Amino acid sequence: MVTMGLLLALSFVVSLLALGFLIWAISNKQVAPDQHDARVIFDPGDEGHVESGETATSRPYNFDTVRSGIDAISARPVAVLLIAATVWLVVGSGFGLVSSLKLHLPDWLSDHAPLTFGRVRTLHLNLVIYGWLSQVGIAAMIWILPRIFHTPLRAPRMPLIGAALWNLAVLLGALAIANGWTDGEEWLEIPWQLDLMLALAGFFFMVPLVKTTLARQVHHIYVTGWYFLAGILWFPCLFVIANLPYVHSGVEEATVNWWFAHNVLGLWLTPLGVGTAYYFIPKIIGKPIFSYSVSLLGFWGLALFYSQVGIHHLIGGPVPTWVATLSVVHSVMMFIPVIAVAINQHITVGRNLWALKESLPLRFIAFGALMYTMASFQGSIEALRSVNSVTHFTHYTVGHAHLGAYAFVTITMFGAAYHMLPRMTGRAFRWPALINAHFWLIVVGFAIYFFGLSIGGWLQGLAMLDGTRPFSESVILTKPYLEARSVGGALMTLGHILFAFNVASILLPQRAPETVRTVPAE
Amino acid sequence: MTADRRPEQDPRHPDEHFEPYELDASIPWPLLGISIALGVWGAATLFDTRRHEERAQVERVEDTQLATGQAVEPGHALFEASCATCHQPDGLGIRGAVPPLAGSPFVRNGPELVANIMLRGIDGPIRVNDSLYDGHMPSFASVFTDVEVAELASYVTSRWGESNRALEAAEVAELRGRVADLGSFRGGAGVAEDTGFALDEQPTFASGTSQPVSPEISALIFEGRGGQWSCASCHGDLGQGRENTPRLAGLPTDYIVKQLGDFAAGRRINESMAVVVAELSNEEKRALGVYYAGLRVPSNARPDLGGDLERGEQLAREGDWSLTVPSCFSCHGPSGFGVATEFPPLAAQHAPYTASQLAAWAGGQRTNSSLDLMEHISSALSAADRRAVADYLASLPPVPAGSGDMLAEQGEGQ
Repeated sequence: MVTMGLLLALSFVVSLLALGFLIWAISNKQVAPDQHDARVIFDPGDEGHVESGETATSRPYNFDTVRSGIDAISARPVAVLLIAATVWLVVGSGFGLVSSLKLHLPDWLSDHAPLTFGRVRTLHLNLVIYGWLSQVGIAAMIWILPRIFHTPLRAPRMPLIGAALWNLAVLLGALAIANGWTDGEEWLEIPWQLDLMLALAGFFFMVPLVKTTLARQVHHIYVTGWYFLAGILWFPCLFVIANLPYVHSGVEEATVNWWFAHNVLGLWLTPLGVGTAYYFIPKIIGKPIFSYSVSLLGFWGLALFYSQVGIHHLIGGPVPTWVATLSVVHSVMMFIPVIAVAINQHITVGRNLWALKESLPLRFIAFGALMYTMASFQGSIEALRSVNSVTHFTHYTVGHAHLGAYAFVTITMFGAAYHMLPRMTGRAFRWPALINAHFWLIVVGFAIYFFGLSIGGWLQGLAMLDGTRPFSESVILTKPYLEARSVGGALMTLGHILFAFNVASILLPQRAPETVRTVPAE
Repeated sequence: MTADRRPEQDPRHPDEHFEPYELDASIPWPLLGISIALGVWGAATLFDTRRHEERAQVERVEDTQLATGQAVEPGHALFEASCATCHQPDGLGIRGAVPPLAGSPFVRNGPELVANIMLRGIDGPIRVNDSLYDGHMPSFASVFTDVEVAELASYVTSRWGESNRALEAAEVAELRGRVADLGSFRGGAGVAEDTGFALDEQPTFASGTSQPVSPEISALIFEGRGGQWSCASCHGDLGQGRENTPRLAGLPTDYIVKQLGDFAAGRRINESMAVVVAELSNEEKRALGVYYAGLRVPSNARPDLGGDLERGEQLAREGDWSLTVPSCFSCHGPSGFGVATEFPPLAAQHAPYTASQLAAWAGGQRTNSSLDLMEHISSALSAADRRAVADYLASLPPVPAGSGDMLAEQGEGQ
């Protein structure tokens, strides 16, 4: 009998075989002529050996971005986006801290509707996703893509218009949320009328990046390029489809909601973070990435598996069982691309641990990359029904979300900013010790935050499952963990203020020209 | 990497002009192995969803059969499960307590009368052949579908009533509509009077189960007083309750009075009840108890916790001695109709309420049962068992009005 299970299993196997064939074909030069120029740089005996790769820092992989004038053109839009993103980061973390405090001080700031928990938490989420992460990610793309394509950014004024529109939309969206005007779905709260403005702004970001890609001077696209190009293709589709008004309703609305919300992490923030780490880790260390084939597996695995992951938020909900099962399977299959990325990035860092002492930006980025592995492993396990039944509807999920969006993407972006800023301005950071302080504040703060919520959330889930304990017990027992979360969150917010200060100190004109140190903080 | 090679290979200050690239290493075999293993697992898991599909299919077929009146089971199984506990599998009843079906003039009058009694229940004295019974046949209107009533009535009359007429579900539906608002038959006399069948000589029915309610008590029940909201605002207009709010209709007066007293004294903890009982006088508590004990309301409880009904039936009827859990019915009476003040009726109580009370006893939040009986029993049950038994009890028909008190009096008299 033809059942849904049979159809699903067959299409799953077919797509896996197709994926396997694709990777085999590309990595064995069956379909990709651009591999030719990737090969010519190696002497025949050198292929496939990291050691020989290290010695053969071949000339074709040297490219003077300063002399070619690429960075000078990118610097302006990157600076604008970075400044705006930093402002939203500080404001957004402030709202995050307030909502964290409200969970154990429920009567605090409850007199005005815009300051109540439901709105403050929503403001936090939207400001850090759309205000901070998206903008700093676009800044990283504008900086990196011209570099790996060896050609200046095309239409460099368009991102400036885009930034103006985007920030206006985020500001208006925040005001709308604060006043109770929302679309009523998590991650999609900004009213769709304002989403039109965000989409238009996104168009202004996309066009220069696509034009730059089309004008590229290299044939082989480095792995970072795939992630970035896929991200700017995927995210507009997600954003527009999920925000279409009056189309989705009922169960379907919930399905589209979580399809979108989870894909924002996996198909937008993850490509930004992974792509950025893929560029800066070898860039700072000065050594190539471990394996081209493995990076193919990592990218195409993400592309194939991630899009179905979000429905595991609806396990036990009124969606057909096979939809949730499909999502569970895809969530677990994410182990494959995550291990692939881990091999490529962590081997490069692990063989060059000296660089972590030398470079503060690398410390951020390598930590962020490690957290990508951790967050993804945790997410795959969390999607299993047995684990999900404990952790769902608890603070554990919140801890996991921050492991991905904060410890991975945000911390990677801190490192990227610290690496880019001296090269954008031609100046050095005046107080590298403050960068170090920033790093330790957020790492310690996040550790308190994450372990507090994970332990508290797990205990909360067990208490909720135990019918012999009253519901109130599952709430009361989380209190010390929620207080720990506020402590951690306060340290992180303090770190963000330090970050804003560091950004301001290098961007603001300095009074006396300092004697240039030898690449400080690097 | 080994330490000896590092010094001359570490550039320390990397070339600023270096641009990243990928080496050509092939995919490590452990990663390939993990990928293939996960692929096999994923395909197997997806293929396995056909089990859920099949189960959903079976449930849909069952629902359709019920809806279209094509149930697969004949009346026998239903009789064994729902009637034989009192009337006995051979239909001979229990001398002095439960009237026989075999040889009964009621049964001889055909499936229509049997269906009528099943739908309405009997509340009052009844004579079957030469024996008198204190009748408290519950109404099964809320428990059985039209199809099930038709099958049971046909089965009972064909087996013990020498009738071979098969009642149609449509006839039951029509009958159900006609008797919906009539309440229980008032004893055997009531059956004879309402249906016009010849049923020998029936004892006269003495009214007195429903007591008049004073305006003050009525105001308490339906409007509340001062800061105390009304009983009906949570327990419903007819005391039928809903989900975690218990059904009060038909609970014995003394049981209700004791619980109200326990809420007031803090022996039973419930934030809402503590507020509403705080200002009640002892007389008011008793008047409320009398009112709710006299209510006759069909069951609106359903087994909606997804519990295993067979396991629930086993616990209710036989207990589980491996857990040292006695059967529910051994104390709470046959079919869970309740015995005395200490053993309230369980039948037709809402499953979420029963399960949450069992959980509260197990967790130590409810401690007001005599001799710690329920504390021990609840702790011995697993969460699944608590849901199973609560679901089964919710599937039983409610005790008729007044009989809770009658049984209570019998219990005290002994």
